[in-house]
Amino acid sequence: MKCAIIWAAIVYLSSSQPLLAADTHTQSLPALPEPLPAPEFTLQGEDGETYRLADYRGQVVVLNFWATWCPPCRYEMPSMEGAWQKVKDQGIMILGINVGEDADTIFEFTGSYPLSFPLPMDRDGTVVTSYPVMGLPTTYVVSPEGKVTHRAVGSREWDDPQLLDLLRQMKRGN
Amino acid sequence: MPATIDRHQKFWRAATLCGGLSMVPSASISATSGISVSTGIDEQARLPFWETSDRGMSLRLVQRLPDQTRGFFEARGFSKARAERIAQSCVFQTVFKNISGAAEPSPLDYNLREWVVAHKGRTQGMKTREDWNREWRENNTPKPARIAFEWALMPTRQRYAPGDYNWGMSMFNLAPGTRFDLTVTWRQHGENRQAVIKGIECAPDIHPTPAELGSR
Repeated sequence: MKCAIIWAAIVYLSSSQPLLAADTHTQSLPALPEPLPAPEFTLQGEDGETYRLADYRGQVVVLNFWATWCPPCRYEMPSMEGAWQKVKDQGIMILGINVGEDADTIFEFTGSYPLSFPLPMDRDGTVVTSYPVMGLPTTYVVSPEGKVTHRAVGSREWDDPQLLDLLRQMKRGN
Repeated sequence: MPATIDRHQKFWRAATLCGGLSMVPSASISATSGISVSTGIDEQARLPFWETSDRGMSLRLVQRLPDQTRGFFEARGFSKARAERIAQSCVFQTVFKNISGAAEPSPLDYNLREWVVAHKGRTQGMKTREDWNREWRENNTPKPARIAFEWALMPTRQRYAPGDYNWGMSMFNLAPGTRFDLTVTWRQHGENRQAVIKGIECAPDIHPTPAELGSR
């Protein structure tokens, strides 16, 4: 009987679930050991507007580095749009910085993934390398004082109420 | 290597005593100190995967067909010849995660340069972003292509906080269809950890018809 249970467990483990983002999400948003000054940037958006980090001083900024071909980036975009709809009037900014692609590619992507928060384009990869990004997606949270305080590597469910509460607390200065 | 015996190790020992480990392909099992290794078919990719997991860590390597890799890089500005070179380099989709939970959180560090590829009695390192980027710069590969390439690969070094993960391509610089063993090294919970995944197979260079792809 004991062996039967062990073998049932082996069969279960051998057919283990795919390691998809959806399966094992942990809604963690780790704080950096030491806040870092957020490197400034000025980027053209997919919408033709110009986006400067400095323009959002006093707000909490969620800086998401992504690309259309990156599966976990695509995975988290709907929840990021959901988060944007909940916080856009609360002094919280979301900037989805696309790495290395052009406006046509992003426009085509937003046909499948409707996004209304700004999508600045880091066409030559200058901005992504000014942050300590190692892989996509990576998301930083910048405090109202312009310090990078939190980092998430890999996708998250950004419209999770606990994550949104953390951003609101930062905005309030708690 | 730490010699801690945890519940995973006890589990596999019990399984051995049950006399059934021969039922599991020998290529799929090579556990060190409670680390499990398994193989199967990835549900999304419908291609073989090899996976290892430990207290707070999981790593899955999923085959990528050379045709998939050719298509990906040609679409991002690589010439046919260069995309072919990448496609012939034994590429795996890789998902590496820090799954340590709130009860036992721990950062996870790795460096791909410490990982060892063993094939036909010889060992070699992995081919990392930096190795490739040197080539791309020397042969004047367009910058947009280089940017896409760089970010499509697994980071060479990374520190994952609990809940963090990356999903990227790993390249082993072996011919399609080659079998190899991979020694994976990482640091977590204040210990250096290691797992050997045996019998990983580079995807063969096949050209499935649309009908075959549909039946996959």
